[in-house]
Amino acid sequence: MIKKEAICYTAAELAELGKDQIPENFQSGTQLVYSSPATLAYNSPGAEGFGVKRAGLSVPGSIMLIVAPGCCGRNTSSIARIKGYADRFFYLDMTDTDLVTARHLRKIPQAVREIVEFQEAEGKRPSLVMICITCVDALLGTDMERVARKAEELVGLPVRPCYMYALTREGRKPPMVHVRQSLYELLPKQKKRGTSVNLMGFFAPLIDECELYSQLHSIGVKNIREISRCSSYEEFLKMGEANFNLVLHPEARAAAEDLLARLDIPYVELTRLYQIDQIEKQYQAFGQAIGYEIQSPRKRQEALEAVEALRQAYPDLTFTVGEAMNGNPFELALALLRYGFSVSEIYGTPAPEHFVYIDPLAKLSPETKIYCNMEPTMLYYDSSTAKADVTIGKDAAFYHEDAAHVYWNEDIQPFGYAGVTRLMKAILEEVSR
Amino acid sequence: MKGLRKYLTPFAPDQSGAESVLYQLGGILVILDAGGCTGNICGFDEPRWSTERSAVFSAGLRDMDAIMGRDELLVRKLEKVAQRIDAGFIALIGTPVPSVIGTDYHALRRMTGRKVKLPILAIDTDGMHTYEVGEQKAYLELMKVLVKENEVSEATSSVGVLGAIPLDLPRPSDQEMIRTTLRSRGYDRVVLYGADATMEDVERAATVKENIVVAPSGLKAAEYMKKTFGVPYRVEYPGADQLLRELIGEADPEEFFAGRKVLILHQQILANGLREEIRHLSKGTAEVRVSSYFLMQKDRMESGDQKLREEDDWMELVREGGFDVILADDTLRRMTPEYAGAWITLPSFAISGKYDPSK
Repeated sequence: MIKKEAICYTAAELAELGKDQIPENFQSGTQLVYSSPATLAYNSPGAEGFGVKRAGLSVPGSIMLIVAPGCCGRNTSSIARIKGYADRFFYLDMTDTDLVTARHLRKIPQAVREIVEFQEAEGKRPSLVMICITCVDALLGTDMERVARKAEELVGLPVRPCYMYALTREGRKPPMVHVRQSLYELLPKQKKRGTSVNLMGFFAPLIDECELYSQLHSIGVKNIREISRCSSYEEFLKMGEANFNLVLHPEARAAAEDLLARLDIPYVELTRLYQIDQIEKQYQAFGQAIGYEIQSPRKRQEALEAVEALRQAYPDLTFTVGEAMNGNPFELALALLRYGFSVSEIYGTPAPEHFVYIDPLAKLSPETKIYCNMEPTMLYYDSSTAKADVTIGKDAAFYHEDAAHVYWNEDIQPFGYAGVTRLMKAILEEVSR
Repeated sequence: MKGLRKYLTPFAPDQSGAESVLYQLGGILVILDAGGCTGNICGFDEPRWSTERSAVFSAGLRDMDAIMGRDELLVRKLEKVAQRIDAGFIALIGTPVPSVIGTDYHALRRMTGRKVKLPILAIDTDGMHTYEVGEQKAYLELMKVLVKENEVSEATSSVGVLGAIPLDLPRPSDQEMIRTTLRSRGYDRVVLYGADATMEDVERAATVKENIVVAPSGLKAAEYMKKTFGVPYRVEYPGADQLLRELIGEADPEEFFAGRKVLILHQQILANGLREEIRHLSKGTAEVRVSSYFLMQKDRMESGDQKLREEDDWMELVREGGFDVILADDTLRRMTPEYAGAWITLPSFAISGKYDPSK
């Protein structure tokens, strides 16, 4: 008789096992991956937020040719409905004959020319053509760099490949790492400016009120560039003049390394955190690295007050925290626990680097249950076994329909003290409805 | 250029059609992919996925699994899941990855069958064909593997319906319309395979009085059922008359179609049903042509009917056809802005990717 129950571990059990003994049930390579709305962001990263296709179109005025079997381009019908993406995707269908003969590669330069001419006929000269290829070409070992160069010669525009290789998502260079490298490779060597800094990592801007902007301005930075705020291709190219890069998402690290090697632009990495004291420590370390004092006492105070306002209004809130949101579920859960709230469940995929959060979390709330969205028995997940006043993350909302929901998965990125403030206010607003 | 699309996003692929047939049957559905295909199938082509749980899984293939052909690892994963998920069968659904590495589905079925005591369905879809090709394969495999031979005929009068998955129909409510129409003809029980049918319904599929094929994707399975179990079948779209009246709204149908040149684009059997109705209403004065981007049976095509492949095929057909009325999905409209005749929206979820459950 099969026990219809979702497998989970308590925080204490996971901490006891430690980072070297993560249960097999929580390792994606050892079992089938369950498909539910809670795993959509994992299986199809472009479905919500930025996957390779949307990310590949981050450069202003760019268009994309998706060269793939029809199935790979199918979800683009919904992406193309997002503002700013209509008429920017084109497709070259691969057939089974293409697989055998690789004849599709010979057609690509001409296809690029046709879509550029098509755009020009509508009065739009693209700035860049991205060629998106998928798992099939990963297996065929296609040299798309060479094909892109041929296309470039034909149309007189930059043409870059981007690789939507789902097969390599847990490899050395996953697709979302590669796409960032592809984009930043376009930056030419140019004279450096001591007053220019890039924020790398996201494909949408940080929230306007983020203290990073004022901190950087206060130390004399005049141009803070993010790919998503560049209004033209020319402005995007100016990202190559930066004095240093701030890497805000680990998937941008490889691109920053490339820029360090190629353009001699150093980088500093910052992590998105929701624990106010840890944010402060991180800024102190950042300041030491660049030789300035980095602090934002007003923003810090606002964050503390936002936490306090929520705590005063609803001191007994119980949260469930998912991974389909702008944050690390273990770090955010730890922050909520440290602020005095309860966390009954976390839906995440524990990795060794998460134990820096899981260990203290287990001390504060050893009975917090940790589920893995992808684990097959999540088919039997039963929400009645846990209390949830508020869910954070779209996956958490899926499991606890009746709770108050803060999806926290918007394109615009929360960061730093301002991110904490915004989150606390969003929770307060949602539970006060 | 052949294969180049400037206006339309790719249509629902074969793997989505296969999954749709099996979604509600209580099996373990395994998409042999790295995850992206599963996300696309469930997130975009399977409207039931957001409201009804089903045991759909990605094989979670990684590059080395594909390069090394690690079928044993996949079988271990299947064995493990079968121990923890209560299901009536396992279905293996192909994608471009197994197609490229030349996966031997028969061998995979045998290997899995040695470890798992469940019927195994293997559907060799490759993501490079359109949805109805996968749907057709899934129906056939379903009937071949699961139908029981010795079931006794039911006392009640039952009819089976093949080809009524959400991707085949212009409106979700057409499932109910088909059911109601067939009930009005005296059937007590209408079994929509791929919609509300259970695994038990499929096991008893040999006991129905007849099968009704409402989309070309159901034909092969219907033929198999006739040949193997003697179940007769008919090809029609029950309720096409009602659908047509609802599509044209308050217009007088006779007046609307009389003497006009009409083009219909959808799956062939639905389009043929609408054609018959238009002819009937116009007292034979309307000239009606049918076209489709999906499977078209030659013996059900009339002179002037056309199987479309490229975007240009549609643009040329509309430009040169001189039509007064077009019944097609709105997505196609932007390809022919110069068309000045009447356009009646005939939604195709398989083309547009837009699904409105309220319709």
